[in-house]
Amino acid sequence: MLSLIHNELLVITGRWRSYIGFIGISILMPLILWGFAYGSESLQNDYARGFEGSFMIVGSIINAFLATYIIMNALWIHIPFLITLAAGDAVAADGSNGIFRLTLIRPVSRLKILLSKLLASYIYAAALVIFCAFWSLGIGSMVLGTGDLIVIDNGILILNETEAWLRMFLSFSLAIIVMCMVSTLCFMFSSMVNNGIGPIIGAMFLIIVGYIIIAIPLDFFRRIEPYVFVSYFNVWLDAFKDPIPWILIGKKLSVLITYSLLFFGISAFVFLNKDIKS
Amino acid sequence: MILEANNLTKSFGLRKAVNNLSLEIPNGSVYGFLGPNGSGKSTTIRIMTALISPDVGEVFINGNSIQKNGSKALSDVGALIERADFHKHLSAKTNLKMLARMDGTDFSAIQKVLDRTGLGDRANDKVKTYSQGMKQRLGIAQALMGNPKLLILDEPTNGLDPEGMKEIRDLVGELSSEGITIFISSHLLDEVQKICSHIAMISLGELITSGKIEDLLRDSEILMTEIHVDQTKKAMNLLSNYKWIHRCDVKEGILRVSLVENKISEVVNILVQNNILVSAIIPKTSLEDLYLSKMEINRKV
Repeated sequence: MLSLIHNELLVITGRWRSYIGFIGISILMPLILWGFAYGSESLQNDYARGFEGSFMIVGSIINAFLATYIIMNALWIHIPFLITLAAGDAVAADGSNGIFRLTLIRPVSRLKILLSKLLASYIYAAALVIFCAFWSLGIGSMVLGTGDLIVIDNGILILNETEAWLRMFLSFSLAIIVMCMVSTLCFMFSSMVNNGIGPIIGAMFLIIVGYIIIAIPLDFFRRIEPYVFVSYFNVWLDAFKDPIPWILIGKKLSVLITYSLLFFGISAFVFLNKDIKS
Repeated sequence: MILEANNLTKSFGLRKAVNNLSLEIPNGSVYGFLGPNGSGKSTTIRIMTALISPDVGEVFINGNSIQKNGSKALSDVGALIERADFHKHLSAKTNLKMLARMDGTDFSAIQKVLDRTGLGDRANDKVKTYSQGMKQRLGIAQALMGNPKLLILDEPTNGLDPEGMKEIRDLVGELSSEGITIFISSHLLDEVQKICSHIAMISLGELITSGKIEDLLRDSEILMTEIHVDQTKKAMNLLSNYKWIHRCDVKEGILRVSLVENKISEVVNILVQNNILVSAIIPKTSLEDLYLSKMEINRKV
């Protein structure tokens, strides 16, 4: 299985499309960090206004942790799109490029091949999230420094530096699981068609519909929200609650993993019964 | 038998691509698979290599069912199905390494098969820089990795120039002499006759005939006979009037008549009675003649 995953990673790293996400993040992050470093006065004032009467702020609250927290809040809608760029091609491209005529005639089960493709997509998704973390936390801590993380969310939570590192680690780990679920969704569409664009559009369409459902406060939408997987994407935010709601996180993860298993089950059913005609 | 296909049937929608097709491929043979476009050759080959599942029927390779135990059955098979498509952005060597990992083949086999197919010095070049002929040779190289006992080649000379075709023909001959069984589909009947020991012909998904080429040519009801006459045009016009003569044409100044064997003396009689001098009668049924007459009969049926 490891050798099959190695193969898939060679394919992913060989496609220029796979680098779009990394290039995008490499362009965006320096800009954001530069913005935080040189234009954070208004942000500091907004935050300080929230503490008025409760705390006296000495020094700057803007640091790599707060920047990362804000960046993740802004990017959790966009990162899935970057994830689908690799997952969309995972199965479909081999169909359209005729690669299956070389690979599926070998003494390896189709299920193993499919699983290796999925795991390679997961590695790509994880790499992209870790790359995000490298920029926002790694480079961010050099540019903005570190310190306490102040989170305003139904109250004020102040985390010391050590705790902030741990919460960030938990948060990014949860984000990786969410992005793996996005990969599986796109992967499912990829196993159904023979071009890489359809799965990207299909997955993004479903995700955008999900965002709309959770954003519009209608009774009907509230009723179906528990069944909309997108409504569990914000699980990474739970890492910044006090105390950490482990049961809630567990519930959200189990829903996401169940959806992932369902999507992979559909992919496997389609792929194992697929006639390779092209 | 190294491969047995039993009662294969496959439909796409309402169209039956393969209909109750059975084949037996003897060990060590070079087996030609012939049929017009759309006759079901590619579908049959894809069923044999587990790319397509049959609606009915089963394929056994060395006694292992492709449909039930594909991994084991395919462990003795190397195949090139139609065009050879690889990851274009990767080198030939990297592409073969990827496939070797799937086969569990030692990497040392890669350079050997590349050398054998004349690509040894281009091993590190990206596949996108390869010509179609080179890609096809790389396709054969990947099929040879893992020392297959059965090599399945679907139109291997597609896109090759005459020199490339000869190279493939020579390679097939070499591989056959090493004891590898080769199943090859091709439109090039002349090529097939040169390299194959056995053939099967299909049309509209059904088997028309199969067996050793020499047996089929010998036992054929339809014979192509070259008749050397002094007035070819007159002879051709004359014989064309007889319905029991399947085909009559002139090639390189020699009259060629396709007819049932026991009618040869009757043809000679007709010619002589019409003052046409007959100097030689040479039976010369080629695979092409056999193929065309079989297809003609099948079409009429």
